[in-house]
Amino acid sequence: MKIYDATLAPNPRRLRIFVAEKGLNIPNEQVDIFAGKNRTPEFLKKNPAGGLPVLELDDGTCIAESVAIARYLEALNPEPNLFGRNPREQADIEMWSRRMELSLFGPIGRAFQNTNPMFATRIKQFQDYGAAQLETAKRQLEWLDGQLASKEFIAGSRYTMADIHALTAIIFGQQTLDLRLDPALKNLTRWHQSVSGRPSAKA
Amino acid sequence: MKLYEFTQAPNPRRVRIFLAEKGINVPTEQVNLASADNRKPEFVKRNPMGTLPVLELDDGTNLAESVAICRYFEELQPEPNLLGRDAKERAVIEMWQRRMELEVLMMTAGSFRNTSDFFKGRIPQVKEYGEICKNAAIKRLEWLNTELANREFIAGNRYTIADITGLVGIDFGRTTQIRIQPEQTNLQRWYNAVSSRPSAKA
Repeated sequence: MKIYDATLAPNPRRLRIFVAEKGLNIPNEQVDIFAGKNRTPEFLKKNPAGGLPVLELDDGTCIAESVAIARYLEALNPEPNLFGRNPREQADIEMWSRRMELSLFGPIGRAFQNTNPMFATRIKQFQDYGAAQLETAKRQLEWLDGQLASKEFIAGSRYTMADIHALTAIIFGQQTLDLRLDPALKNLTRWHQSVSGRPSAKA
Repeated sequence: MKLYEFTQAPNPRRVRIFLAEKGINVPTEQVNLASADNRKPEFVKRNPMGTLPVLELDDGTNLAESVAICRYFEELQPEPNLLGRDAKERAVIEMWQRRMELEVLMMTAGSFRNTSDFFKGRIPQVKEYGEICKNAAIKRLEWLNTELANREFIAGNRYTIADITGLVGIDFGRTTQIRIQPEQTNLQRWYNAVSSRPSAKA
């Protein structure tokens, strides 16, 4: 199997962190998204939506969508567990994962797309909307700080996929939008240091 | 167990259809979005994000996020299967489910949120962005029509959660006049099939 990847992009990053946590060694092929190589007819055959990452299986099947790929890899390699071990745990981790995707990952992604010069020729940008989405993300980080007062990780007492979504969103915000974590948000800071200190964070 | 929901909203509908397909009966309670009851302290205690649907479990704890709720019910009652039976099937179904969320439902919702009177005053609306969402949704329907030429349902040859998301996403497009076009015969065929299932009326 092979993963089509792009170092700087956030969705491939969440999968790379996941793969690193699992200790898996999967061959990786870079796709030059700056040069639009993910929109060539050849690549669109692998993923008609043109997104990354894509997992190509040995039988040629291509699975897109980072979370679908991660869940597949967890089915093949259950430990260390990141999606949950029983129905309730799986539901809770999924709930928190989606909250992180909807409240952090999404707004930061839209802030980037609407304000960064790289996307000026790709979409019609709304600078005000982008700025507002960044503010939304910052409010959500304040909310997250409150949530982390009573637990060590986002979905509970252990590190899970929910932490990976949030960390990836923050990394992307820091790299592209000069997002800074307010040191006054003590629980968020504690959590961030913990998840950033894991070897997987550098994936 | 109780499901907090609102009849006209899309995400609760996804869970209602899912439960109907499973033949599972869960008591429901309406939370009035029009009067913003989902933003009042009583409900926010249940779901700090203030969104619907929310499933209150028998132990009194609350589970939010429609797909998390669906997944929970599938674990409790695997058949009829809607999320996949093995690792690869689950991955393919999840991939398509997410594509329906990102490319269809989020676009029809973005169109509604930014142009409808319902959301005026509730969120800062950007009408032009709403138009872009609408056009994106329309393009996605063209794409979906092409995809459905070679298979019966969205994720393959049987009905799955991806069809539920697609159906709800497309139906929600009606709120801003996003419609399946007469020449999109594959999409229309699929739509007739999924919308005539009893669960579509849930």
